[in-house]
Amino acid sequence: MKSQHALNFLLGIYIFIFFSYLFGPLIIMSITSFNSLEFPSITPWECFSFRWFNEGKIAYDGQHLAGLASDWRLQDGLIKSLIIGLGVVILSVPIGMAASIVLTQVHSRLRTVFYSVSIMPVLFPGVIIGISTVVLWDRIATIGGEGLIADIGRNGIFLTILGQTCFISTYCFLIFVARLQRFDQTQEEAALDLGATQTQVFFKILIPYLMPAIASSAVIAFLASFENYNTTVFSILSDQTLTTVIASKVRLGISPAISALALVIILLTLFVAIIYEILRRREDRKKKERQDQLIYEETKDSRLKKEAKKSFKLPKSIYVFLFIFIVGIFGFNQLIKNGLYGKECVAAAEEAKKSNFSDQLKLLQQNAESVDEKALEGGELGGNKDYGDIFGDTNLFKDFGGFDTKEDNKEE
Amino acid sequence: MNYFFNKNGPLISTYFVIAIVFWLVFLIIIPQLYMLDLSFRPNLPPLLRGGPDDVHTLTHYKYFIFGSETSDDPYNYVDIGVFFNTISTAIFVTIINLCFCYPIAFYMAKVASPNTSRLLIVSLIIPFWINELLRSFALRILFAGEGVINNILLGTGLIDSGINFIAMDVALYTGLTYAYILLMIFPLYNAIESLDKNQLEAAKDLGSSTIRTHWRIVIPHAKAGIASGCTMVFMLTAGALATPVVLSSPNTYWFTQLIYQWFNMNDNWSRGSAYSILLLTVSVVFVLLMMRIFKVKIGEIIR
Repeated sequence: MKSQHALNFLLGIYIFIFFSYLFGPLIIMSITSFNSLEFPSITPWECFSFRWFNEGKIAYDGQHLAGLASDWRLQDGLIKSLIIGLGVVILSVPIGMAASIVLTQVHSRLRTVFYSVSIMPVLFPGVIIGISTVVLWDRIATIGGEGLIADIGRNGIFLTILGQTCFISTYCFLIFVARLQRFDQTQEEAALDLGATQTQVFFKILIPYLMPAIASSAVIAFLASFENYNTTVFSILSDQTLTTVIASKVRLGISPAISALALVIILLTLFVAIIYEILRRREDRKKKERQDQLIYEETKDSRLKKEAKKSFKLPKSIYVFLFIFIVGIFGFNQLIKNGLYGKECVAAAEEAKKSNFSDQLKLLQQNAESVDEKALEGGELGGNKDYGDIFGDTNLFKDFGGFDTKEDNKEE
Repeated sequence: MNYFFNKNGPLISTYFVIAIVFWLVFLIIIPQLYMLDLSFRPNLPPLLRGGPDDVHTLTHYKYFIFGSETSDDPYNYVDIGVFFNTISTAIFVTIINLCFCYPIAFYMAKVASPNTSRLLIVSLIIPFWINELLRSFALRILFAGEGVINNILLGTGLIDSGINFIAMDVALYTGLTYAYILLMIFPLYNAIESLDKNQLEAAKDLGSSTIRTHWRIVIPHAKAGIASGCTMVFMLTAGALATPVVLSSPNTYWFTQLIYQWFNMNDNWSRGSAYSILLLTVSVVFVLLMMRIFKVKIGEIIR
């Protein structure tokens, strides 16, 4: 028994490590979004600021780093992602439902084939689905000539909806299959015996029974579409969705604005997950209360009568939130005390960096001049001439524009 | 067929037929077949398509094996290397994931109380609702040249100069392992959960060691889950594009990146298709292999 305890203890440590592996990167990423440095990091902490959620900044070397609120490409991509998500839900939920109902009706031989073909798209790599959709529709558009077909066949949003529907329908299909396995067929037969038409049976019995599956497959379909990259990057053609915008941003250079976006998404996810969990628990409790009530009514056994608890019980998780809250307040207080928060701090850091930059620029020019002098004196250096003396050109730094060094140069 | 129409009524039958034909034929079968056909055709400008030059050819597959005619190497070492590197890495990642996830899945299914395991499941799902790109980006922040790990190591004085994790591909492998770990845990969890706890206790009473219990009872019981998890992880890793885009070093390519290049940068769609077909073939072979090794049906792999 003792060894069992030791084993469980080790297992506990392992689980802790595992979960910190899962959450650590996400937490660190969230924290970096509050650092005002233009490179997402924690250890050289500059200032605490919300700039990456708002307007971003114009860096000291003239590069514009957009924040969340000022990035029109992200917003444009977000709108397109929403349109595509909606389209995919509208197509794939009915398809998945139809396929799963038909699966219950075909006989065994055909059934295996049908099932295998239906789940195939999940086994295809996403890139392949995207590519095959694009090449097919490009061909259709070429054959169809000018006009409507050509427009549709080369429309990135339309192609993306089709490509994603191909495999998201399978997700929906599997959800419906799981739900239909518990369906009581006698309900249908009873309705038919009582004179209902087939269509009525479908709308009055099957659809209400499948309602939870419809809801959850719609949510899953939307989420899968929203976060898909592999298929979308091929089928979107010249348009951009949220994920392709993020990908191109990440490839160009990593910026804390992406951390900020990630934090927003994480918070939304957490919010949805908590709501879902609360709803589910409430549902469970209701079901249990109803069952208890039923047992009580049947047996009239007073020992089974449960008083409804009136007192409000604090859930244990409140301590976790309280702990995070206190740590947060303490950390924030510390930040303010050390002057690491607010506009003054950001401005001071900017100023320091700017002067640092101009110092370096000056040093560079001084070096260039001193080398020139040596070369003129007839030293062996000569190297500068091999490069056509490009570094000696004072116009070189003009393009940077708008810096203090420019004035300095003129004075010299 | 008549029976089918009678059973569902005309309106619903029409809806069923349209939906299923649209899906199976127009979204699944025809695009794949057309891509297969395209992969055997030369890369022609749009005007010449359908003309006398548009014949079936093996050019693109030959290119994959022997390289371009102008190069001196007898074989196309670069592309073949990328191909096998991708596959071997994907297998490696799959095995690592299996080893990582097995204890967690076992803990959630058999050791933890229902409430704890419920909480663990919810907290496992949360990170996976976040875009794959953003998760890779989080790792990139950790592993970058001036990233968090390097700064901490430098700060504590453990190393003198920064380690280039991205060039060493550590970042890529970590990212790939991180990306699809959930798809390994859930099939394993579902499979282990259905195991009767009495069997474990019986084994213990009969004097079996922990390792032996797992090897002889838990793993054989969970083989469908293992097959399913391995297949999903392998497929997604071999076909991953987002993680390599964010985390791979400039001189390491993932096979999907090659496909992407032929497609979008070199505008050679038929060669891109041929490479896609190669990737698809590997995926299918892997699934068949898994079904053979673990003796499971395809329906058990995907649920």
